[in-house]
Amino acid sequence: MAQRTSLVIAGIVILLVVVGAAFLLRGGEKPAAPAETSPASPATQPAAQPAAQAKPEKPRLTGNIEQDIVAIGRYLASQGIHEAKYTVWGAGDPNSVLRTLAVVEAAYRLNKILEKHGVDFKITVEQKFKRGGGDQLAEDFAAAFQSQANPDIMANSYKHIARFADEGYLLDITQYLEAYRDFLNDFYQSLLGAVRYKGKYYGVPQDTEARPLYWRTDVAACIKEKTGEDILTGLAEKIQKGEVTWHDIYRYAKLAVETGCSEWGVLHRKGSAHPDLIQFIYAFGGKLSDPKTGKLVLDVPAVYKWLYVEWKMARDKLIPEDMMSWDWGKQIHPSTVSGKTLIWIGGTWHWTEWQTKPYYTDPKTGEQRPLTAEEVKKYFYYTLFAAGDPGDKPVTLSQPFVWMIASNAGKDNPKYDELHDVYQMLAFLLVVKASDPDLNAIHSIISAHLPVRKAAEQLISDKTWVDKLAKLEVELSPEVKNAIADIVKATVNEINIEFLASASKMLAYTHLTPIHPQYPQLAKIFADAVDKVLRGEMTPEEAVNYIISKVKADPELAKAVEIVGEIPKDWQFP
Amino acid sequence: MGLRLPGIRRGGGAGEERLVFSDVETVPRRRLTLVLGLAVGLATVPLVMLYLLLVLSSFADRMLSGPDIFSARYSLENWRLLFEGRLEPAAGQLYTARDLAVIVLNTLLVAAGVTVIVVLTSVMAGYAFSRMRFRGRRRLMEFIILLHAFPGVALIIAVYAIYVWSLGLVPREAVTGYRFLYTILARAALEIPMSIWLMKGFFDRIPWEVEWSAMIDGASRLRVWWQIVLPQVKPGIAALAIFAFLAGWEDLIYVHVFLYTGGIKTLATFIEEVVGNIETAYLPIAAAAGTLYLLPTIVFFVATQKLLLQAMGGGVKG
Repeated sequence: MAQRTSLVIAGIVILLVVVGAAFLLRGGEKPAAPAETSPASPATQPAAQPAAQAKPEKPRLTGNIEQDIVAIGRYLASQGIHEAKYTVWGAGDPNSVLRTLAVVEAAYRLNKILEKHGVDFKITVEQKFKRGGGDQLAEDFAAAFQSQANPDIMANSYKHIARFADEGYLLDITQYLEAYRDFLNDFYQSLLGAVRYKGKYYGVPQDTEARPLYWRTDVAACIKEKTGEDILTGLAEKIQKGEVTWHDIYRYAKLAVETGCSEWGVLHRKGSAHPDLIQFIYAFGGKLSDPKTGKLVLDVPAVYKWLYVEWKMARDKLIPEDMMSWDWGKQIHPSTVSGKTLIWIGGTWHWTEWQTKPYYTDPKTGEQRPLTAEEVKKYFYYTLFAAGDPGDKPVTLSQPFVWMIASNAGKDNPKYDELHDVYQMLAFLLVVKASDPDLNAIHSIISAHLPVRKAAEQLISDKTWVDKLAKLEVELSPEVKNAIADIVKATVNEINIEFLASASKMLAYTHLTPIHPQYPQLAKIFADAVDKVLRGEMTPEEAVNYIISKVKADPELAKAVEIVGEIPKDWQFP
Repeated sequence: MGLRLPGIRRGGGAGEERLVFSDVETVPRRRLTLVLGLAVGLATVPLVMLYLLLVLSSFADRMLSGPDIFSARYSLENWRLLFEGRLEPAAGQLYTARDLAVIVLNTLLVAAGVTVIVVLTSVMAGYAFSRMRFRGRRRLMEFIILLHAFPGVALIIAVYAIYVWSLGLVPREAVTGYRFLYTILARAALEIPMSIWLMKGFFDRIPWEVEWSAMIDGASRLRVWWQIVLPQVKPGIAALAIFAFLAGWEDLIYVHVFLYTGGIKTLATFIEEVVGNIETAYLPIAAAAGTLYLLPTIVFFVATQKLLLQAMGGGVKG
């Protein structure tokens, strides 16, 4: 026994020694010390420019990126600074790596311009891409900011802008965008609301998405066979014109279930995945915020109608009562890809998610596998989110990702206190370059997001360019090309390109959830109310009163939310 | 009418009657062992099943949840993807095998650091509380056990405030080292109160005469502690080291707040990233990452079961 214990202790000691030695030997984790340009001692600085050359003036942005980067590079070089370091953080699904790599590519492209003009200055970018949602990344950003360990640039959902701008974490880039008016005008105007807060710009759109209604073609064919009703013919146009509303969708869903063509009429995302369901508010002509007062709005009639639709469908067994607690990988997606529902309220990203995740059980082999692009196209028809009542308009909803620049951007570089405005301009130029149309188009294609620039949409429609991309014959740095090679191979095909081009047109109907610090709280209450009406724990009326009471119970939220309208008395559904 | 007692039989011979007590523990022992074994077995079934499902899922083509263990297809694909840095079958590479090695190394470093600090302080403080009389000893011991009652989460805000303030005093080149040091100290501080009590228990069981005789022979207090007492509490030290190591290895909150926000990953934060957004996570690969994370724990427990049981019993063989 004693021998054994001695062995254990000896083992632990050896382990500690090995780990200690390994730590001493490992490199590459220490943050680089600032360049040898301590502001205190000019003597330690690299040789200054020849005396004959007058020192350039502090640069100002002109809107011409080549001119601007050269001016900034020359100016910093004249200050004895020959390298500037930036960090970028981003989050998302594993195919959204260009959220950070585009900034790496931007540095590569700007460095090429500097080289061409013989400027002794270069930019290096360290990137950190995190798999998953942006909420945790936003919390990490806020925490890191306290110890000045935050990134200079972050790709994250626009919904964080309000809070971070109020906290002073973000750079106001309004004056820079004044100079880059043409650049700004190329973005879809409906998305610019996502980067504007209190009249100022705090970011640049990076990508967006739409949330279509997906219809199973095989279920629709079965309905046609059994009842003679052909629901899919011209459906997209009918929905676009507002001729087919949720009253009709209820009837279609009922047909699908009653004829035994599918187990469910409608399935949708669950839990806090509220943005899709928020579309009901807009579809019933409601609103979520008042631009005049800047307050959130609880539009009682629209919210009531939304909850009534959910409640009614759940009572009639068209939506599962426990929809909000279904499992993603075992129930939600497998049910959708195997045709157990007529309609799926989803997002554009599902189009490729079904092609990359093994949700489908092949009836012939019993194997679980992803759908092929051809199968996705064959089984799924997609439309806008239909209008609520006759006379209302169809909608879709976007939650764009945006590039935000930290208010201390460039902090890791020499003479920051003296030159912070120049470093911030440089960070802005990195974002401008990272938004190059080709980078935006590549990102859209490989991650199934929608482009945010018109020029990027044109590229996606350009067959020659897409063919080049499929062969990876596009102009990219070796590092970025290598990083996305496999994703390009798996995702670039005609079917997906056609889908993206078609889904992009939905952006004309898009709505954004409000940029308001209290909005996530309100959305959480909505999701809670949806769960209660689906389960039958509350009637729609009770659920609306529940939302009102929850809003009033929180003093901060009560101040931020305006409650408008009343429960409609004479409204009929279906 | 004779009195009948269980476990007592009349024996002897030649007219002599005497009571023979059989070992009162051994008669029902087998039955008791069976019942206890069954109870413990049943109680641990759900837990064992969960771990088994996790490990099996790491080789399967889906996240297993019960009956589907028979229909799933098994391969090393998830492990291959995990080490290649692909968190979904059709995704690009997010990290290299070298990055993963650095993550494991960071985790080891935190765990090892916590182990060293906890063992050193507890072995010394435990001995002092067990053998020395000083003013306020009892109060201090009560205070220490009170400290143990504080959950680490409750302390995090204050600890974080100090951390942010202190970071400003650290030169840039030393920031990474400081982050590790701070995390190790903060995490060790949570373990130390209970560890001191545990070690005190071990020291209490060593007869005082052993030390006494050594001191009569002229040994100093320190030498007695080092040469006479410590060898006798080896099982306790080993158990303590294991607990401390696992506390450092398993920590999520502290490493997230102090290391991850500075761009340093450990396995706990890595798994957080692998799962990412549960809606879109490819869970079989997350299961492989989880299994990788479990390995040291499993190895430790299997290798040191006896020591742990002794430590739990709070005793040593003198």
